Amino acid sequence: MEVTAGDVDALVTGVLLLGSGGGGDARVYAHVLRSVLAAGPVRLHSPAELGDAPVLPVGMLGGTRVLGEKLPSGDELPAAVRALVRWTGVTPAAVMPFEAAGLNGVLPLPLAHQLGLPLVDADLMGRALPRVDQLTRVVAGGAVTPMALAEPAGQTVVVDGGDPVSTELTVRAFVAQAGGWAGAVMAPAPAAAALGDACLGTLGRALGLGRAHAGLGDTPAPARVADALGGHPVGGGRVVDVRRSPVGRFGRAAVTVDAPGAGVLRIEAENEYLLVLADGEPVAASPEVIVLLDRRSAAPIAADAVRSGDDVLVLVLPAPPWWAARPDAAVHVGPQAFGLGPAAAAPRPVRPAPAAEPPAPHAARSACTAAGTGQEARR
Amino acid sequence: MTGDLRLPGLLAHPDWAAVTTLGGPAPDGAGIERVVTVADLHADPGDARAALLTVAVSAPREDWHLDVLLRRAVAAGAAAVLLAGDDPLHPASRLLAGRIGLPVLGAPDALAAALTATRLLQEPDQVVAALVGRTATVCGVPHGGVDDLVADLARTWRRPVWLLDPGGSVVAGADATGSRTPPPVPGAALLEVAFGSGPPDGRLAVAEPEGVPAETAALRAALAVAANSVRQRLAEQRLAVERDARLRTALLAEILQAGDPVPGGLRRRALDAGWSLDGWHAGLRIDVPSSVDVVAAREQVLRAVETARLRAVVVEQGPGWSAWTTFDHQPTAGELQQHATAARRTQWLLRESLPTSTGVGRVHRGAGGLARTLGEAGDAARLAAERTTSGRFVHVDRLGLGALLLAWTRTDTFLPAARSMLEPLQGRPGDLLTTLTAYLDAESSLTETAAVLGVHRNTVATRIERVRHVLGVDLADPDERLALHLACRSVLFHS
Repeated sequence: MEVTAGDVDALVTGVLLLGSGGGGDARVYAHVLRSVLAAGPVRLHSPAELGDAPVLPVGMLGGTRVLGEKLPSGDELPAAVRALVRWTGVTPAAVMPFEAAGLNGVLPLPLAHQLGLPLVDADLMGRALPRVDQLTRVVAGGAVTPMALAEPAGQTVVVDGGDPVSTELTVRAFVAQAGGWAGAVMAPAPAAAALGDACLGTLGRALGLGRAHAGLGDTPAPARVADALGGHPVGGGRVVDVRRSPVGRFGRAAVTVDAPGAGVLRIEAENEYLLVLADGEPVAASPEVIVLLDRRSAAPIAADAVRSGDDVLVLVLPAPPWWAARPDAAVHVGPQAFGLGPAAAAPRPVRPAPAAEPPAPHAARSACTAAGTGQEARR
Repeated sequence: MTGDLRLPGLLAHPDWAAVTTLGGPAPDGAGIERVVTVADLHADPGDARAALLTVAVSAPREDWHLDVLLRRAVAAGAAAVLLAGDDPLHPASRLLAGRIGLPVLGAPDALAAALTATRLLQEPDQVVAALVGRTATVCGVPHGGVDDLVADLARTWRRPVWLLDPGGSVVAGADATGSRTPPPVPGAALLEVAFGSGPPDGRLAVAEPEGVPAETAALRAALAVAANSVRQRLAEQRLAVERDARLRTALLAEILQAGDPVPGGLRRRALDAGWSLDGWHAGLRIDVPSSVDVVAAREQVLRAVETARLRAVVVEQGPGWSAWTTFDHQPTAGELQQHATAARRTQWLLRESLPTSTGVGRVHRGAGGLARTLGEAGDAARLAAERTTSGRFVHVDRLGLGALLLAWTRTDTFLPAARSMLEPLQGRPGDLLTTLTAYLDAESSLTETAAVLGVHRNTVATRIERVRHVLGVDLADPDERLALHLACRSVLFHS
């Protein structure tokens, strides 16, 4: 499967949808993508094609919003890769996003182009998540250190050893010192390992979502949106209140939507939308992908951008299959993993995700299984 | 379980004063049959049909589990949810409560509020016993008047309590303003008990708590207990009042008879009564028809005297009251004017309840002076009974001139001239002739005229302006004013 210059808008929209309200705004990178893809399409490889070739999970850590204030030099990721290669002595054969959602979903494309390496369509989250200990590889028992980070001014660090929690703390400290964000490259792992400890085909899924979204047009009916995106419409209406409080790790927000027909919708969010209650009944919870769309344009609205008065459609997309297949997913990425307490979402028929292309050619989109390594973080 | 406990009644209950409505619809008449208490927001209310669901442990209002609990409470059939703490609800919870029609209440001490509700529901007998016990304690206090008792009862019952006369007017209790009906408490009926034996003397009333059967039963029982005490206090009070009245009347009679100098013993008794015999006295006599019980009506007179800011001693004497104000120096003209106005205002305040004719005496000094001024006031009051134009109020100072004028205007030549002079005023609206007469009688004082006629001073001003216009006279001209005054007097007295 290939990503061409014509797919930029679809890919950007797709990774935004998988951001579940978080993950950072990939639109700022659209022009970079266009100029990269103008030179030729980027192929998305299945991990199975690469055998035991070492693959580097890449992305950025920290506040994606800061990217607009502290501009990238363009050399952060290559510098981090160089540092990691020197430390491990392993020459990478391919790169993959560790988070194929939001800004991190598109960053690996220019990097793959820059390094001349293949891009693997797999990631360690399947959607946007905020913490290193929420990487599939970490949950599956794998390691993501040594990890190299490089900030725009050129400072580079390598973090090795330690448990996921201390890695997370060290990484955050560096990110804070670096002024908000840093490019990050995690420990290389054989491509085949991703078959078990990573979410496969997430970029393909994003592309499929983006393409389906592009065909919606103006003011689409909720059912049509849900059908096209393979989700479940919770309801739509006016945002009557957004209450942000500095509790939780990244600050909490509660969005209240007065949705005629669906009742009072309450969406609890941290960086991402985490939980939806309809009339006091939990109807969707992380790791399900909860998206708020502008009702008119169907454009996704980020959790830190939603405002009172927005006219929104609340939509739930199925959880990434890797998480859906894991009985302990809620412990790691469910509402309780964010201090919101356990929530048993009402069971709902799950619709199939839309095909990336009319007949989806790329590999395994179903569940992945455990066997991994590591850690990560963002914002 | 009585089953008739209603949420609005509970919210109006004194023990629930700290409970506030945080969200949901205004509590309607929904019945509460039991109280279900759960530990925290995570609890499952189970079966909570027609229950007040109480959450014992306070949780941050932004916790979304509150929404889940509200939803579960509605599903379980709860009538209302009572939360610990009175912080406002999260907007989503408030919106949800309104949507699912569940009243959400908050109380700093939710458990205490729940306990109150439980007691009202499960142990009505205990509620009755507690209130009757407290009432008995209050009634057992051996001193104080009826007003004190009614105030104590109101404090004990934590509700307005009224004493009503047979006609239904408030005579004591919450805002005893003398209005015809008890000050209505919105939506509250009255519980009443007659405290007289035989033909009802009056009733003791309390606002009936609506929708709290246990409380109603308790108040009924407490009313019965209190009524006895009220009757007893009334009897004691009446006895004391009559004894005092007799003492006062006798003392005044003795002083009036004794003349100057007053014997030492009598002087001492006057001092004990708080009367100052020295100084300058201005007497006031209020006559009422002999059907009026002057002992019982004394309270009203005292109230009127106080309201009119007339500092006077009031003594029952014959069919009415003798009153006097004592000045420690010779009063100035201004002070006398003030005194006369206050006297007139007193009569005006009494006009609704008592038909009075009032006379004011001149100022005289000493104990003998007291007898003289009271004598003058009595004469003036007798004269006032005949004088409707002056509002049955006569000041002795003006008596001589009045008599003189009246004698003079009885001549046959003056009357026709006077009639033709005032002819233009006849048949016009506004009673211009009476107004003009009263105005001139009152030394051209708009305020005084208004008081005499019982109308607003602006009305008087308008009428006088019309008179001036119709008659074409200049009221500032002493000659014209005199002529007009005489004509008025003559026409009114001979028509």
